[in-house]
Amino acid sequence: MPTSTARQPKMRQTMPVRLNAAEETLIAQLKAIGANAEAERITVAGLPTRRVESYHYTDLKMLLKAIPPQAAAANEASAPALRVAGAYQLMIANGVIQSASTAPAGVIVGKAEGGVLSTRDDVLVHLNGAFAKESLTLTLESSVDPVIQIDRRAEGAAAHVTDSVKVFVADNASAVIIETFSGSDAAHVGNHGTYMALGKNAVVTHITVDLSARAATHFASNEYHLADGAKLRTLVINAGAGLSRTQLFPRYEGAGAHGDITGLNLVSDGQHADITMDALHAVPGTTSQPLFKSIARGHGKAVVQGKLVVARDAQKTDAKFMHQGLMLSDEAEILSKPELEIYADDVVCGHGSTCGKLDEDSMFYLMSRGIPKEEAETMLVRGFLEELVDPIEDEALAEALHGIIDGWLLGGK
Amino acid sequence: MTTPILEIRNLHARIEDREILKGVNLTIPAGEVHAVMGRNGSGKSTLSYVLAGKEDYEITEGEVLLDGQDLLAMEPFERASAGLFLAFQYPIEIPGVATMTFLKAAMNAQRKARGEGEMTTPDFMRAVKQAGTELNIDTEMLKRPLNVGFSGGEKKRAEVLQMALLQPKMCILDETDSGLDIDALQVVSKGVNALRSAGRSMLVITHYQRLLNHIVPDVVHVFSDGKIVESGDKDLALQLEAKGYADFDGAAA
Repeated sequence: MPTSTARQPKMRQTMPVRLNAAEETLIAQLKAIGANAEAERITVAGLPTRRVESYHYTDLKMLLKAIPPQAAAANEASAPALRVAGAYQLMIANGVIQSASTAPAGVIVGKAEGGVLSTRDDVLVHLNGAFAKESLTLTLESSVDPVIQIDRRAEGAAAHVTDSVKVFVADNASAVIIETFSGSDAAHVGNHGTYMALGKNAVVTHITVDLSARAATHFASNEYHLADGAKLRTLVINAGAGLSRTQLFPRYEGAGAHGDITGLNLVSDGQHADITMDALHAVPGTTSQPLFKSIARGHGKAVVQGKLVVARDAQKTDAKFMHQGLMLSDEAEILSKPELEIYADDVVCGHGSTCGKLDEDSMFYLMSRGIPKEEAETMLVRGFLEELVDPIEDEALAEALHGIIDGWLLGGK
Repeated sequence: MTTPILEIRNLHARIEDREILKGVNLTIPAGEVHAVMGRNGSGKSTLSYVLAGKEDYEITEGEVLLDGQDLLAMEPFERASAGLFLAFQYPIEIPGVATMTFLKAAMNAQRKARGEGEMTTPDFMRAVKQAGTELNIDTEMLKRPLNVGFSGGEKKRAEVLQMALLQPKMCILDETDSGLDIDALQVVSKGVNALRSAGRSMLVITHYQRLLNHIVPDVVHVFSDGKIVESGDKDLALQLEAKGYADFDGAAA
């Protein structure tokens, strides 16, 4: 037996990355549309691994096994994943904007070429920009009564789908917008971008719900710009795809702007869901209350990362990140990473994170009143989530969201 | 001879390696109110939790019959539907679950277990309103999350409200007087006394005699070191108050 072997010198710094199948396909698809700079970026750096801080818990190089062919126009449609009674509906299927019914008062619907997201150092944002052919634009000139539902689909055989939505909300206008992501039962990879600009004192609720097939991968990046006094409430629900990551980029750019940035990961066996927020408080006197919850069962894995950046001038910023995790099995994993990056010196910023099982004393109390175990668990889980759904005032919408949560709870039985 | 509502025979229970109940024998006939008095740490509260089915305890010996049925073989929720009710010393706060939602779930779960139909919402509201009026509970309080932010008195009144709605055969009141001022104690006691009936028995656990001025027991038991060491009529409680526990269990106070 040899007693020693000659070792290769370490050359990680200089060696090009070894590309996997997903990366090879992405590069070929980028070159095919002439996005050579993006192709070069993937060739050199590859998809992010755990060594990239913002992907620390979601190692895309490991998790993303394959990229399906670029989507062709959809010629079939699955049933809508979620119906909200009385909502004005718009649909984008396989990246193509479908014709819509007459818009309600105050809404102008249009199309623009290309993507919507601002450039930032993030692979999903880069890819969305490179692949988006057209984007749906909504201009809300005044307050809109009905809920606006944007139904974003991946249809047919497994496809790489890219789509984009841009929403302008005029000063003093208010609106409730829900975006749903769903489609056929296939190994789609969806990359969705949403850009939303809120005018002065605009009040917007933006809900995004992933209800894709378990075989699918769901990526979404939502960028928000808030002017003076604008109020934004978000609710992200990751409840469908086997692998999902929703990125939230709120920017508080006007005094008095406020964000209630909330989100929920619901993961079962074999699922990996990630909500990553990177917020910028850019000017003095802005506030935010990011509140995220994760529920994991089986071998499910849920990730929440929350970064609060406070610019040097942004005095009197008041922002607190919170993540609460609930583990319904011994094998479940919930990962939490808050980050504060504060350049101002007169701010109130904080972060908190809790994780645990259902409280045994609460379970015993409910059961001691005759409520069977499973029903007691359901009551406590609903109670845990009530804080997220309770602020949604539209009754039909709140009911639809409760339906998603109850459906998930029943799905585990 | 009629079946007693509760019959405890030589009950032993422990938590981890520590034996807490060391041979409890207690029979409560229908319609009677029994009090169990004992110093802190004597195992009184353990007795109530063991009867209600809390998981932390291991039963090592003995049996318990509720109206002739094997209580220890039942899950906690089955015990409730069979007619057992424990009024908690410290009712649990449950954020996100409205009290009203909880009450309706509990009533319907018990009705379902007994093969009865669900209550209609108007019937339910009427029952809650009627039971609430007698306990000075308004419906606003019931819209709040269960026990969250309730004062000590409100929590105990909510426990008695549940008891009134669920109509159990066997009520266990664990230190119901703790955390109550005199006025609240009167309201709660009045609510409990209103529920005394020929078919319903009660076990009142306390370490102060004062509760027993309001809820007058038929029998008083002295509990010490995991078992009953003395039983008598209501005057036994007065003797205890005068002489202390040492005269009964021999241990130094």
